[in-house]
Amino acid sequence: MFHVLLALAGGDLHGYAILKEVGLRTAGKVRLSTGTLYGIIKRLLSDGLIAELRARPAEGGDDERRKYYRLTPLGRQVAAAEAERMDEVLAIARARHLLKRARTA
Amino acid sequence: MKSEQSRATQYYRALLRLLPFDFRSDFGPEMEQVFAEQRAEVERGASKVGMWRLWWETFRGIFTTAPREHLSMLRQDSVFALRMMRKNLGFTIAAIVVLGLGIGANTAIFSVVNAVLLKPLPYEHGERLLLFRQGSPRSGLIGNNVSVPELMDYRRQNRSLDGLVEYHNMQFILLGRSEPEQVETGVVSWNFFDLFGVKPLLGRMFEPDDEKTDAPPVLLLSFEYWERSFGGDPTVVGKTFRMNDKTHTVIGVLPPFPQYPQENDVYMPSTACPFRSNPQTIANRQGRMLRIFGRMKPRLEPAQAAADLSAVAASMQKEFPKDYPEGSDLKVEATPLKTELTRDARPTMLFLLAAAGFVLLIACANVANLNLARMVRRERELGVRTAMGASRVRLFRQLLTESFLMALGGGLLGLLLAMGGLHLLTAYVARFTPRANEVHIDSAVLFFTLGAALFVSVFTGTAPALARRDSLVTTLKEGGSHATLGAARGKMRSALIVAQVAVSFLLLIGAGLTVRSLINLQRVDPGFRPENVLTMQLSLDFTKYMSNESMLHFSDSLLEKIQAMPQVTSVAMSGEFPLDRSPAFNGQFLVEGQQGNATDSKPVAEFNSVSPDYFRTLGMPLIRGRAFDGRDRSDKPLVAIVNQSLVRHLWHDQDPLARRISFDDGKSWTQIVGVIGDVRERGLDQAPTDMIYVPLAQYPQMSPGLVARTQGDPMNIARAAVQHLYEVDPNQPAGRIQSLEQFRADSIAAPRLTANLLGLFALLALAIAAAGIGGVMALSVSQRTHEIGVRMAIGARPAEIIRMILGQGMSLALAGVAIGLFGAFALTHAVKSLLFGVTPTDPLTFLGVAAVLAAAAFAACYVPARRASRIDPNIALRAE
Repeated sequence: MFHVLLALAGGDLHGYAILKEVGLRTAGKVRLSTGTLYGIIKRLLSDGLIAELRARPAEGGDDERRKYYRLTPLGRQVAAAEAERMDEVLAIARARHLLKRARTA
Repeated sequence: MKSEQSRATQYYRALLRLLPFDFRSDFGPEMEQVFAEQRAEVERGASKVGMWRLWWETFRGIFTTAPREHLSMLRQDSVFALRMMRKNLGFTIAAIVVLGLGIGANTAIFSVVNAVLLKPLPYEHGERLLLFRQGSPRSGLIGNNVSVPELMDYRRQNRSLDGLVEYHNMQFILLGRSEPEQVETGVVSWNFFDLFGVKPLLGRMFEPDDEKTDAPPVLLLSFEYWERSFGGDPTVVGKTFRMNDKTHTVIGVLPPFPQYPQENDVYMPSTACPFRSNPQTIANRQGRMLRIFGRMKPRLEPAQAAADLSAVAASMQKEFPKDYPEGSDLKVEATPLKTELTRDARPTMLFLLAAAGFVLLIACANVANLNLARMVRRERELGVRTAMGASRVRLFRQLLTESFLMALGGGLLGLLLAMGGLHLLTAYVARFTPRANEVHIDSAVLFFTLGAALFVSVFTGTAPALARRDSLVTTLKEGGSHATLGAARGKMRSALIVAQVAVSFLLLIGAGLTVRSLINLQRVDPGFRPENVLTMQLSLDFTKYMSNESMLHFSDSLLEKIQAMPQVTSVAMSGEFPLDRSPAFNGQFLVEGQQGNATDSKPVAEFNSVSPDYFRTLGMPLIRGRAFDGRDRSDKPLVAIVNQSLVRHLWHDQDPLARRISFDDGKSWTQIVGVIGDVRERGLDQAPTDMIYVPLAQYPQMSPGLVARTQGDPMNIARAAVQHLYEVDPNQPAGRIQSLEQFRADSIAAPRLTANLLGLFALLALAIAAAGIGGVMALSVSQRTHEIGVRMAIGARPAEIIRMILGQGMSLALAGVAIGLFGAFALTHAVKSLLFGVTPTDPLTFLGVAAVLAAAAFAACYVPARRASRIDPNIALRAE
């Protein structure tokens, strides 16, 4: 769920692009399938964290079945809050020497 | 390439079908597209493994998503449904109660059917247990029993059985407790219980040594007797009791299990019975006193076992021709024990199950109708939801969820009702089968209830949804509301009403016929007067009363003492008395001057030996000649009294008084001195049999019954009568003591309870159906307020309006009655065997039921019709 939000934080994407983006960012560790992806999209949509775009980017020649999704302000807040929470957890882990060094993102 | 791609798309679409409809319609095309791109990418990589991996991940993804989505939708729907149900609390309660009654009736009856008819016998390999009967149709030798030499032959020579055991019943007298006690005793082979696979609750079972001739007498207690008479005392094993003239040791207690052919208090090995172990009995091929049970070898059919034993019977006949009548054709029949145990219960239970099923159908139709009516009010809500994008499937699902929750509530209520009524039902079923104790609510019954609830929810939820088809668009359109919509739903509602009336008609007919049978049974003239008669069944100590003189002395002394009681007007003793459920004693006899050839079959009659006042005590009318009196003693000429039925059959109503008959092939002759009225000995529904009565003084009985006519309640003198019995012989217990009226009531208790149960079902159906008609007509009136207002404005009188509404309602009811009539003609023949004195198409019942149903429908329609006639046209016209 978080991965999909992260993917959309970089810009509006359609379903396949989200799938690819998540795969790329996690170096193939997180592999979404259509079923799981759209299960997540449905929940994010109904929770108001993402929205479907009415207007599609003017790329032309696009498959009309494609729909584009955008992070809503609420979605951005939720993603940021989650990232901060993870950051705090990581800080603790580092302080306990569970992680060797801070990785620069 | 192209085709492969389309095939992949097809597979993917098939996978998508697992998802909820809404999910699919929201995201389906998009998902397809994404999947196509995924595939295109893998194909560019041209790796087989990649493609497999993609399919595998896709598969997994859908299979984890689908259940989650379905569940969340169910949760959502349930929350909404519960809210709707709370909002319409009246409707919800009505629906749950109606469904609860329907499901409860079915659950209760099914729990019986399941325990009695469906479940295997609670014996080891119960399906291989057989009861054997031997008979020779041609020579009139028929019966359940075999003799000891015959049993030995069957046991030795059969090739189809794993075991063959014997059974017979007797009454022993248990002494040494506060009073002498008569105990029903099953006398059996040592391996009887092993054959049935019954393990002891306490102690041990019989062993081969227990059945040896001089083995110390041992005793097994039945579970019921142990509980009833010993309070479940676990230290009873090892105790000794004097029974008749021997001391018996209790070696064990049996677990509860259905006892067949009768319930016994105790069991003993066959050698314990002095008659059975008498060398004469053991050698006598014609002394048939044993019932035999066997267990077939695996994978055999009962018919094969019967053929095997019949072959043994044929060789017996060849070997011992003098023991079998000339021209006899001895055969063995095998009946599965389960059939034997459930024979009486099966037709009634299936009838009741069908009736309960009908009640449920009516309840369903009724709730479906309520649902439809409610749709009118919910039209706006549903219309709005459609407008907001809810698909029809989604709404259908929502309606089904509501129905399901309602049915679940009904199921729960039904289960409670069934549990509440189960002990009553068990007592009722016990009149039909020894398996009644096995009746309880188990997992199979719970599954059945759940299944019934599912059926109900589909039935009640689908009807309104179907009626909504093609009507959604019009809903929101101004003015388009009633005309078109009303037609679709109105038709559905009418159909449901007609169906309810038709099924109610069937149920009422079923109940009507059973009630008529019961009335006929109650009215039947039994041939005797059962009121104010005390009965006491006795079983004399066979170790003490061995001569006719001693038996006669006993009965004379007892009769004298009872007769002296001030409340007793007359008293008698007899071998049996009417309705006492003792086995009939049938025998052949010769008529002087009508002997015929040796091969001709001789006349057969039932015998009873009675003391002089028997006929007077029971109120049986003497038709001709004289009754027995003090002259007819053992040293006087043999005499007999016959009943009218025998005179009619044998002598075509000619005077029999001068005739003589013989019971011993002409060695001695018995003079007929009187003719007595017919009595229904074996049951009020059984025609009187041909009877020959002989004097008790000439034929003393080991197990006589005492009958005493009293002033006032006969049970008042019961205790005093027993005291008089102890005065005659302090060690002689009384068996069952009961009023004759009680025997009569017991003999029709089963049909009475069946009639009650069916009557209850039918009344339930009638009430539900009438409420249904009334409700539908009320709704129709309220929907047509405007139209009725117009009619009245242009001059229709209230009476005409009433007639119109009544006419509509009654036409539905009459259509239902007409359909029900056809159904009844087709179905009632199936219950013919359960009826008495009434044909399955009894015109009186059919007319009566039609009238009752029509009257109920009329009453139900009259209320809304009256309301319609009071509509004020001014208000009605302004309202629209």
